[in-house]
This record gives sequence, structure tokens and C-alpha cells, in this order.
Amino acid sequence: MVEGLSFELLMAIVVSMTGLICFGLIMIFSLRSINVSVTIGVVGSVLSWLAGLYLFIHYWPAHEAVVFQVNWIVSDNIQVPFGYYFDPLSLLMLLIVVTISMLIQIYSIGYMAGDTGKSRFYACLCLFAWSMINLVIAPALLQLYIFWELVGVSSYLLIGFYFEKFSASEAGKKAFVMTRAGDIGFFIGLVLLFLAAGHLAVDVFSSGHKVAEMIPHLKPLFPMNPETLLTLSAILIFSGAVGKSAQFPLLTWLPDAMEGPTPVSALLHSATMVAAGVYLVARIFPFYEASHLALLVMLIIGTITMLLSSTMAMVARDIKQVWAYSTISQLGFMMMGLGAGAYFAGVFHLTTHAFFKALLFLCAGVFIHHFDTNDFFDMSKGGARKMLIPMIAVTIGVAALSGLPPLSGFYSKEAIMGALASKHWIWLAAGLLGAAMTAYYSFRVIFVMWFPKGGAAGHEHAHGHVGHADADDAGAHGAHHGKAVWITEWCMLSVLIALSLITLIIGVFFHKDLEMFLTGAKEMAGAAHGHVAAEGGHGIGHTTVLVLALGCALAGIVLAWFEFGARRATQMGFLSRYKGLERLFANRWYMDHAYRKLLDYVVYGGFTNTLTRNDRVVIDGGVDGVSNLTLGLGRVISRVQSGLLQRNLYLTFFLLALMGLYFFLV
Amino acid sequence: MNSLYVYLFVALFLFCVGLWGVLQRRSLIAMLISVELMLNAASINFLAFNRFLSPDPAIGQIVVLFIMGTAAAEAAIGLSIILALFRRYQSVEIGKAQELKG
Repeated sequence: MVEGLSFELLMAIVVSMTGLICFGLIMIFSLRSINVSVTIGVVGSVLSWLAGLYLFIHYWPAHEAVVFQVNWIVSDNIQVPFGYYFDPLSLLMLLIVVTISMLIQIYSIGYMAGDTGKSRFYACLCLFAWSMINLVIAPALLQLYIFWELVGVSSYLLIGFYFEKFSASEAGKKAFVMTRAGDIGFFIGLVLLFLAAGHLAVDVFSSGHKVAEMIPHLKPLFPMNPETLLTLSAILIFSGAVGKSAQFPLLTWLPDAMEGPTPVSALLHSATMVAAGVYLVARIFPFYEASHLALLVMLIIGTITMLLSSTMAMVARDIKQVWAYSTISQLGFMMMGLGAGAYFAGVFHLTTHAFFKALLFLCAGVFIHHFDTNDFFDMSKGGARKMLIPMIAVTIGVAALSGLPPLSGFYSKEAIMGALASKHWIWLAAGLLGAAMTAYYSFRVIFVMWFPKGGAAGHEHAHGHVGHADADDAGAHGAHHGKAVWITEWCMLSVLIALSLITLIIGVFFHKDLEMFLTGAKEMAGAAHGHVAAEGGHGIGHTTVLVLALGCALAGIVLAWFEFGARRATQMGFLSRYKGLERLFANRWYMDHAYRKLLDYVVYGGFTNTLTRNDRVVIDGGVDGVSNLTLGLGRVISRVQSGLLQRNLYLTFFLLALMGLYFFLV
Repeated sequence: MNSLYVYLFVALFLFCVGLWGVLQRRSLIAMLISVELMLNAASINFLAFNRFLSPDPAIGQIVVLFIMGTAAAEAAIGLSIILALFRRYQSVEIGKAQELKG
């Protein structure tokens, strides 16, 4: 379907290939010269950002999806296309990915200053962004799957970036293996779907009436009617999203993934890795809508995930860990939204979340860079509140995360709440509880950092202009002085400012536009679902939901204020009064222990032992058996060789006599 | 029964006695003697066949002379082996010499 090299196609090629080219250039030519690598990385990311922005604006209303594709594999009636697919969802996601990856590359100039592995870091960032961009614009699920795995590989490389540290290489391995566990289901689901439908084209699965048309034409596979087959493959494909987006059974890899450098966490938690799971579900959302069971599974898993990880975040002391748990809970929240049938709400929350979560992680990065600790209680004592720009930015991010108006998180959360209200009240209750917990744990961080308690005065900073940590930083990182420090700091701070602005305005100004953009095109395509806009609350009115959600968030904030912010506050959460609960939450509900046990019993206990036994008994035993048989036979035969001359003679004569008899008789 | 058979039976008897001695006696010297008996039985056979079946060329008698020579040599070698064994084991019991047992 490639017709000539139009300018749009050129831009699409630029956006989809720049990352790979940069990766190759850095890996082959400039691994030794850090400045060249940084330049290549940043220029590449700016280029692909420009191309992505051009595509987004050019296709803006995007009533019809634009497809550029060539057939990669043609065999009999199997066709595997490769190419680009631009519709509102992929364009929006593309813009998010290129924007955030560009901002993070700029930020990393400052954050990774002085790191000897910076070239490798930039190469991996390029690879990461490249995989995600191509995942987003895939016209067929197979291409999506290929880049899905590439995203997994590059996240593995980046999480284990400090591979000389044992915990980092372990975390990388854990992330890789756990997401792989989900991907097995994803792949089986894809194969089932491919066998039944004969193709994996995104434009079929992302349009309601095409899915509805397709269902009767599904080939009956095994004794399964089309609906069962559809549900089964939908749930299996969802299991891939469960792994990638750290949903309930497979969520423990994400908190460990912060072993990587902070910019990686920011990228991983916002636009690339974890967003891929939600994006996949949103991408083929009409396909999911055809199966109520799959949606219900999604809703349940999202709810469990959100509640579990919110509780974990309430007791964490590591700032990155708090944000990691909040990512999991927000992803669960998106899944809830999608499971409740609110396509726009889920995708909109994905969008806003990408920006404010990147903001939160990058702020955390600034603090970690400055104070050299991950514990926000220590940061607070060290005088974090003197760093005005990061503090304001982190406050904006937290307010957005808690869903306070007029920040972006408010609009998206409220949209999801509206969708939940149209379902059973229990989902709305869970959502409200989650919102309260989110507000509580995120404002806990903020209050602790703004209002240090106890021994706070021990470490005063004598410098006047706050916002960038000049004197201390130059002292601590003696390698760079004066201008270099200034550049380092402003690379980081300008990104924070940009992300704060996006967080501030995206909700107020672009909420309606994005809704038009995403759902308008859906309706054009004849999507057969009426409750897309997520605002058709059946039982509870829209304003009631809004007030309830805000009330819950405020309740969480007030609780956090009395425990951490107020003058008399002890900075001990109410959970510290329930030791058992606190331990349960701090140990992630013992999920890691459960996996450890599972590994010990099933993998090591079952498979490994069986294989070891096989090795010892069957293989070693076989070899030993042959040698033992030879030895034994030798021993039996050597009995003949008794050394008793007369017995030998007996035998000889006996045999001779037999021979004689034989010749005599015959 | 003609006279050839008488000789053959005598030889058979001698041979069996010799065989029995070789297989059953403990003493190496007795075994050597028994071997001589068996050789003699063979000699008798040769002589008997020569005398009764083809008397003209007296090959059988010549063979018997060879056998006697061989027997003398064999007795000399056998006795010296027995002496060597005796030096080693202080006995001429055949049961003592079983170092070649497998």
C-alpha cells in the first residue's frame, strides 16, 4: 500500500527509524566519546519529536486511519504486514512517547553527568524509545508483539544499567522474566486469534463494527464457538498487558525496576514500558468490548492491583518506591476505566499520568542527585524545601496524582470515576478508596518534605538563591565547576518546568479537544458502544461522583496533614499503630515471598529436581550401567580363570571329550 | 575280539589312569608321572596301529622314539619348574600355585 514517497511517509520513516540509527551510531562509533553520544541521542530524539509533532498536527482530526504498510511475509494466504498505522490513539501515544523521551534525554545530560557509561545509557534510551514508537504505530499485532518484546529487552538493559551492582542485575532479570511470564499468554492468545481470524490487522480489531462482522467468520478452532474463542484469546492477550503494566499477579517487578538510573524509571513508568500494556488494551479495545467476561476480568484485576499497590505505597520510605507503587495503582486505575468500558477515560488517564509521573520521577531524581539518598525523610532533614523549583514541581505532580482540580489528573480521574459509577457501586467504592489512599500517600511525601521535623536544623544550606543546588553540588561532585554545573542543573530544571506546565494545562485546555479527537473518530468508525464518553452515570449523578471523588482525595490529604504536616505531627502514619498491617504492606503483601516459594517448590523443587534426578539416574546411571555390566561380566568370566590348574584341565578335557563325541557320532 | 583291540583297551586304560592322576592328584610330581602314563598310552596306540594295520614302514616305532625323547625333555623341564615352584612355595601342592587367578 505504499504509494510514492510523500512527505508524511518521510516523517513517519524519520520518527520510526531515528532511534535505531542513533542506537547503531552510538554503539558502533562513539561508545568512547561521551559528548558525541549525547549529541547524537539528543539530536535524534529532537528530530523524532519534530516528526511526531508534525504527524500529530498534520493528521489532527484523523477521522480515518492512515496506513502505510508493506507485506513482510507472504505465504499461501498468510500475510504479515509491516508499516505504520496512524489513527487518533496511535498519534496521541506517539506524541507522548516522543515528547517524554526527548525531555528525558535532555534531563539525562544533567543527571548522568560524570557517569562513565553515559554512551551506553544514551544508546539504550534510543533503543527504548525506538521500540516503543514502533510498538505504538504498528498496523498489525505481530509487529506490535515484536516491538513489545524489544521494549522488554531495552528495559532489561536499562534497569540493569548498573550491572556491577548485584541488586540491579537481579532487578533487570526479574523485570525481564516476570513480563515474559505474561508474554507467553499474550503470544498464545495471538496465535489463537491468528488461527481463527487469519490476520492480526489493527484496523479490524480497533473498530467495533469490523469486530462484530468478524466474529461469525472466525474459524471454529477445536470444539470452541467463536465467542468462547474470542474471550479466551482476549484474556490471554490481556495477560501480556498484565505483565507489562505490572498488574496484580505480576506486579512485583516494577518496584524493583527503580534500580536503574532515575531517568530510566521516569521513562519506564510514564510513556514506554508500563504504558505499553494499557496501550495494547486500548488499541484493540473494541475487540475487548465484544467479550464481557474479558472486560470483567480486566476490571477485577485493575481493582485488585490498584488497592494492593496503594497500601504498599502508604508505608514506603523510599521516594522512588512510593512513585513506583503509585504507578502500579494508577495503571490499575486505567485498567479499571477500560474494564468499565470507558475507552476515552482510560486513554486520557494514560496521557495525563505519563506526564505527571515523568515529572514526579524526574523531581525525585533531582533530590536523589542532590542528597544522595532515596529516603525522603532524610531529604527533608537535609533541607529539600530550600530547592524551590523541584519542590514546586513535585507538589504540582502530587496534586495531579491525587486528582485535584484544575490539574490534569483531576479530569482523567474524574472521567474514570464517572465510568465506574455507571457500573456496580462496588467498583466506584473501590475507586474512591483508591483515590483517598493515593492522596494520603502522595501528600505524605509532600508534607514530610515541606515540613521537616526533628533534627531538621542540623544541615543548613547557606546559599541564597534556591532552585539549583550550586554550592553543595559543586562540592559533592567536584568534577564540574561553574558553567558546567549551571548547565547540568538547568538541563534538569528546565525539563521539570516543561513537564509541570504540561501537567497544569493539559487538563484545562485539552480535555475536550482530546475527547473529541479520540472518541469522535471512534464514532465515525461506527463503534457500537454508547457509553464511550463515560459520563452516563446510571445510578449516581455526575456531580455527585465528582464531589465524592474530590471529597475522598481531600480526606486523604487532611489525614496526611494531621500526621505529617501539622506542627504537632509525629510523622508516624496511622499504620504504624498496626504492626501486622504495616509489615504486610511493607513486604508487598508477601508477594515476593510467595513467588520465592513458588520458585522453590515448582521450579527448583519440581523441574530442577526432576531434571537433576534424570541426569543422575538415567544419564549417569546409563553410563555407569554399561561399565558396571562390563565389569560384572568380566568378573563372571574371570571365575573360569580360577588359577586352579586342575579345574582348567577338567574343563579342557571335558570340552575335548564333547568334541570327540561329536565327531564320533556325526 | 582280535589282539589289536586288546592293545587299544590296555592303552585306553593307561590313558584313563593317567588322566585321572593329572586331574585328581594334588602333588605336582604325581601329576608329572601321570602325564608320563598318558604319553605311554599314546605310544602303545602308535605301536599297535603300526604293528597291525601297516607294518611295512615302521613309522609308528619312530614316532614312539620321538615321544620318548619328548617325554624325557618334558620331564626335565617339568621337574625344573616344579623345583622353582617348590622354592617359592615350600611345597609341590598344585593348589598353592594360583597367582594367575582372574
